[in-house]
Amino acid sequence: MRIGMPHMGNIYIPFKALFQRLDIDFVMPPTNNQHTLSLGVKNAPEGLCIPFKLILGNLIEAADLGADTLLMIGGYGICRLGYYAKTQEQILRDLGYNIEMVQLGVSEHKLFGMLGLIKRLSNDAPWRKIVSAFRFGINKLNTLDSIEQVVQKVRPRELVKGTANQIYAEAISAVDRADSYLTLKKVQSYYIKQLNQVDKDPQAQPLIVGISGEIYVLLEPFSNLDIESELGKLGVEVRRGIFTSEWTKFSLFLNPLGMNEKARIHKAALPYLKRDVGGDGWESVGEKVLHSKEYDGIIHLAPFTCMPEIIAQNIMPNTKENIPVLTILCDEQITKTGMLTRLEAFVDLLERKRRNNNNRQQTGT
Amino acid sequence: MVKVGIPRALLYYQYYPSWKTFFEELGAEVVVSPPTTQAILAEGSARVVAETCLPVKVFLGHVLALVRECDFIFIPAVRSVSNKVYNCSKFLGLPDMTKAVIPESPPILDMDIDISSGKRKLYQGIYQLGRHFTWNPSKIRQAGLAAWQVYLDYRNLMSSQGLTPPEAIERLTGTPETGSIKSSDHRAALKDTIALIGHPYLLYDEYINHRIIYRLEQADKTIVTPEFLSSGELESAIVKLVGRAYWTYEEEVVGAGGYYLQNGANGVIGIMAFGCGPDSLMMDIVRREALRQRTTSFMCLTLEEHTAEAGVITRLEAFTDMINRKMRRQAEECV
Repeated sequence: MRIGMPHMGNIYIPFKALFQRLDIDFVMPPTNNQHTLSLGVKNAPEGLCIPFKLILGNLIEAADLGADTLLMIGGYGICRLGYYAKTQEQILRDLGYNIEMVQLGVSEHKLFGMLGLIKRLSNDAPWRKIVSAFRFGINKLNTLDSIEQVVQKVRPRELVKGTANQIYAEAISAVDRADSYLTLKKVQSYYIKQLNQVDKDPQAQPLIVGISGEIYVLLEPFSNLDIESELGKLGVEVRRGIFTSEWTKFSLFLNPLGMNEKARIHKAALPYLKRDVGGDGWESVGEKVLHSKEYDGIIHLAPFTCMPEIIAQNIMPNTKENIPVLTILCDEQITKTGMLTRLEAFVDLLERKRRNNNNRQQTGT
Repeated sequence: MVKVGIPRALLYYQYYPSWKTFFEELGAEVVVSPPTTQAILAEGSARVVAETCLPVKVFLGHVLALVRECDFIFIPAVRSVSNKVYNCSKFLGLPDMTKAVIPESPPILDMDIDISSGKRKLYQGIYQLGRHFTWNPSKIRQAGLAAWQVYLDYRNLMSSQGLTPPEAIERLTGTPETGSIKSSDHRAALKDTIALIGHPYLLYDEYINHRIIYRLEQADKTIVTPEFLSSGELESAIVKLVGRAYWTYEEEVVGAGGYYLQNGANGVIGIMAFGCGPDSLMMDIVRREALRQRTTSFMCLTLEEHTAEAGVITRLEAFTDMINRKMRRQAEECV
């Protein structure tokens, strides 16, 4: 049995650590690239969203590398994602791959169900080993996220554009290589120090733009054309509510236990959207309401034909809390120039708004 | 008398008779919007972002048509109609979305219909809905029971007599529906039969599907639709294809598609709206099954507001020609 799994941002790193520690035979498909996308587009029904197509591409590439057991999240009550594993299994079978799909149910497999699943995959490893491998994986994820948060601050302020990205790429591979808690800790402090030492513009007062929307396109830079770096180059500080670690923690572990940090966001959305519409639609509305004072603008990312985000997109312009929102739809047709033009126009608008506000405050009206 | 508006779109085709009964039992008058027209669709589309799917645009157009006609508009949020199935976001967000994009609408009566969260919640929801009209709980209970009975009768009428929803609504309520939908005795001869699969709000809205049933009947085809099947038949087809239903209205697509591909229809036409989340997956399952079987022809028509009538007609003609040719060849082989 050889396990393969799809990509979403950096999520492969903790899983890799988990599999390595449990001596599970696995392959990681190449990170998302043009070939992955064209494999997905070619074999997927046309009306599906970009996450489906990229994930399908990943799964095909993993199967080509010899994986026969494919891990994919699924389950009840989470937009059409719950149906993806079923369809992808049929597509792969029709392509002639002899594979088994294993669904990680986000809502029905509680924490223990999931640990049990891992136990099954690891050929009955002892529980102690599973839990410690798990903890280590989560630790890697947390390390990555704490580094990324610093990167987001450095990007708009650095004098030589691109330095932070370079350090971040090195940090990712260093975290991937780390094999003990000690090295992980060292890696974290080393790279955060490196980032803090980057030459920065001391005068910079960057605009603050929140990024909200559907989780896959938020976390997978290939699908959003690395929008965060582009915004950084335009001198904008990016804030993002969803980090991979939080998502893993909350969707996979704490949510089933009833602890839910998202409740605050949901409460903010209540006057405009009373119930969960699946996916991340509720959160998108909530983040707009919640952060309307502290951000200059919000960029709302959604895959094309994503139903929950369409609902959010329709509701957002009609909230009392007024903050500019730019919706960018991600699909296989998206181009860098097109996106950059829209980002530049949006940033110009926000700058003008800030200038006007400042002037008004100075003249005291 | 209090007037409750029900838009003639989306779930209207599944539940109108029972909703009507419920509100009338509580002493309200029920107002239905007129059949879809170009103006209704255009006004609905003007309110929402372009990516919104066609049925929702039509729905909002119908709400706009009701704005001055009634005191309340009934828009339930249907999450599931059986245990552990899930519904498309548009049904869940419909009340709030309508409120956001049509601020001038009369108060919206919304209620959660979620069987997965237990019957108690459903009863509470019905009670709260009824409270808008009466303080008497037993009256609400009566109305609820009557509505349920009408729903069962309605389903039964369609599956036993082979009536389409508009015909069955006409029989049950006496409201004349637009006329061209005529079904013949479908079970007598499953010969030269074309099955239409898809959600009722696409199959029976003659404006958005360009009178597909009428056109196929003009081509001498017998039409069968998902409503002609009993829920047992639909369920067993789902079990065969995908194991367990995930979507609330999966039986209309995967169930009916699986059944008619197996049982004697000469062709199956799937009708879906562009960008429809659930259907893009479910139609693919049916299409793959048709490819595997290689006996029954399958075609998927995707509708959106730009669909030109001529394009639909051309595809229908090509499809019926293909089926005629296939049947002729079969007849020759038999001789």
